[in-house]
Amino acid sequence: MSVSTARPALRWAIPAAVTAVVLTAGVAGRALTADADPALPPRTAAQLLVDLQTSAVTGLSGTVVQRVDLGLPELPVSPGGQGSSDFTALVTGTHTLRVWYAGEQRQRIALLGTLGESDLVRNGRDVWTWSSSSNEATHLRLPTTEEDRPLPTDLPTTPQEAAEAALAAIEPSTIVVTDGTAMVAGRPAYELVLRPKDGQSLVEQVRIAIDAEQKVPLRVRVYAQDATGPAIEIGFTQISFETPGDEHFDFRPPPEATVTELPPAEADSPAAEAPEQPAPTVVGDGWTAVLVTDGPDMTDSTEETSELEAILGALPRISGSWGSGRLLESALFSLLLTDDGRLLAGAVSPQRLYEVATG
Amino acid sequence: MSVAESSRARRPRAVSTRLLRSELRLIFERRRNIAGMGVLASVPIIIAVSIAIAGTPQPGEGPTFLSQVTSNGLFVGLAALGAELPLFLPLAVAAISGDAVAGEANIGTLRYLLAVPVHRTRLLAVKYAAILIFTVAAVLLVAAVGVLLGFALFGTGPVTLLSGTQVGTLEGLWRLLLVCGYLTVCLAAFGAIGLFVSTLTEQPIGATIAVVGLAVISQILDAIAALAPIHEYLPTHYWLAFGDLLRDPISTDLIRTGMLSAAAYALIFWTAAWARFVGKDVTS
Repeated sequence: MSVSTARPALRWAIPAAVTAVVLTAGVAGRALTADADPALPPRTAAQLLVDLQTSAVTGLSGTVVQRVDLGLPELPVSPGGQGSSDFTALVTGTHTLRVWYAGEQRQRIALLGTLGESDLVRNGRDVWTWSSSSNEATHLRLPTTEEDRPLPTDLPTTPQEAAEAALAAIEPSTIVVTDGTAMVAGRPAYELVLRPKDGQSLVEQVRIAIDAEQKVPLRVRVYAQDATGPAIEIGFTQISFETPGDEHFDFRPPPEATVTELPPAEADSPAAEAPEQPAPTVVGDGWTAVLVTDGPDMTDSTEETSELEAILGALPRISGSWGSGRLLESALFSLLLTDDGRLLAGAVSPQRLYEVATG
Repeated sequence: MSVAESSRARRPRAVSTRLLRSELRLIFERRRNIAGMGVLASVPIIIAVSIAIAGTPQPGEGPTFLSQVTSNGLFVGLAALGAELPLFLPLAVAAISGDAVAGEANIGTLRYLLAVPVHRTRLLAVKYAAILIFTVAAVLLVAAVGVLLGFALFGTGPVTLLSGTQVGTLEGLWRLLLVCGYLTVCLAAFGAIGLFVSTLTEQPIGATIAVVGLAVISQILDAIAALAPIHEYLPTHYWLAFGDLLRDPISTDLIRTGMLSAAAYALIFWTAAWARFVGKDVTS
């Protein structure tokens, strides 16, 4: 017939070539959106902090992808995998959120799960949550709007002042520099890098990508010590700075849904509701601060405590001169629950926690 | 009548649909395929009747969309599509595509088919076109039986989307049609894989089992969190993205990626099937 029948090797080259083209197109498409560093006029860290303050974005909408890889041990009670649309699932794995923002008064966040969705909508004084998997909604009516609240008087009045104040606050413990540029969600952005001065911190650096034009953070990456990839990454994959329309914020629960009305919280005394809890002590400061507090109360056996016990039971038991207990170790933080009922946590190595536990 | 016109009238059409029509008759008139379509259609019937008798399950229990069936009958169609997507629909497509070439070889009709003065490339294109038409028919059958029975038993009403927003029945039907279109694209890619496997063997049942096995293994691998880096390359990975068509507003990112992934699979395996089929020695 033709070449196609006479030369078998040539024939098989066609599907092979198609495979190669498809794979390169896929990889190249990703590389284009991720790695081409745009050329931007240089800006200092202080200028970028001012930029963040002066940004006057009135509305935006977009898609946010969050990846968390803390190197946590496998826990017997899974908080929900990739497909879960439960907000508590956000502590681990990869998740996609859609956000709409039209000023302080109107916001919506939708956590997309496989065949499910959880929404958090604020429209003026109304705050709604919605979960499609349980078909439940909660409603909270905020007591006062933001404008009614008296503004604290000691706030910095100019962005420059605010940036300087921010720098002054973090400078003793942190090195703040700019480090090149990046493309995030198809937009050129500056990279602002915060690096702890204290080498004991598990955090190596925090990188914030700031949109070159609109001056809003597009992506935050947190790197652990000696890690190649970020332990936490949250960033836009697609963003638009047009103010989204009212229809996105006009949430009405479907009639067959279970609606829970939350009692309006007293704006003036937010602490009044919380039961009395001993104030946690903080040992050390800056990036290596360790929080010491009372461990969870395991005396009453509810469903929650049994779940917690199952999780704690899976953690390795350790002991030392400081006593004994269970340790949760991750790339970014350590958590120690001692047998005498203390809970120690911080972005430090377990050794630092043992030191604090010894007292 | 001029000479030119009469000669044009006598000349056979450039692209005859006879081959395709005969292929479609083979698929849709075979008793086993009719029985298979009956199985596909039975799922929405079982769902609708059992809910009519036993009532809706609590939200969060049972297959997705099931708890919403009583608010609008069209959810029967959606629930049935969701229930058949893991196995029944891939099985139907695998059975038809696995049979496409291997079936003819198995009963000894392939050599007669190849004796027709038609290039093998066109023959393979017609085979795949018939698989596509069957895929559309299978998906629409499940949805249509579900919707019609659902409307009859539960009536129409506002449709609650995943975002909690309610839309009317017409908008709901439009969304369901989009879901059908997306699932057809996903399954058509599987049809190309089936067509390729079908050119490798003379045992149609073997080709069918291989393709269904691939669908099941792909879904198992997709569920293992530790294998996350390979998930996006799995042929079934984007199937459940059809839920994004039921949000308000529709989220297109995953849908677009899913369609590109399906197109890539279809292209690779159709050309592989072509490479194999064009040079195949036909002995039976």
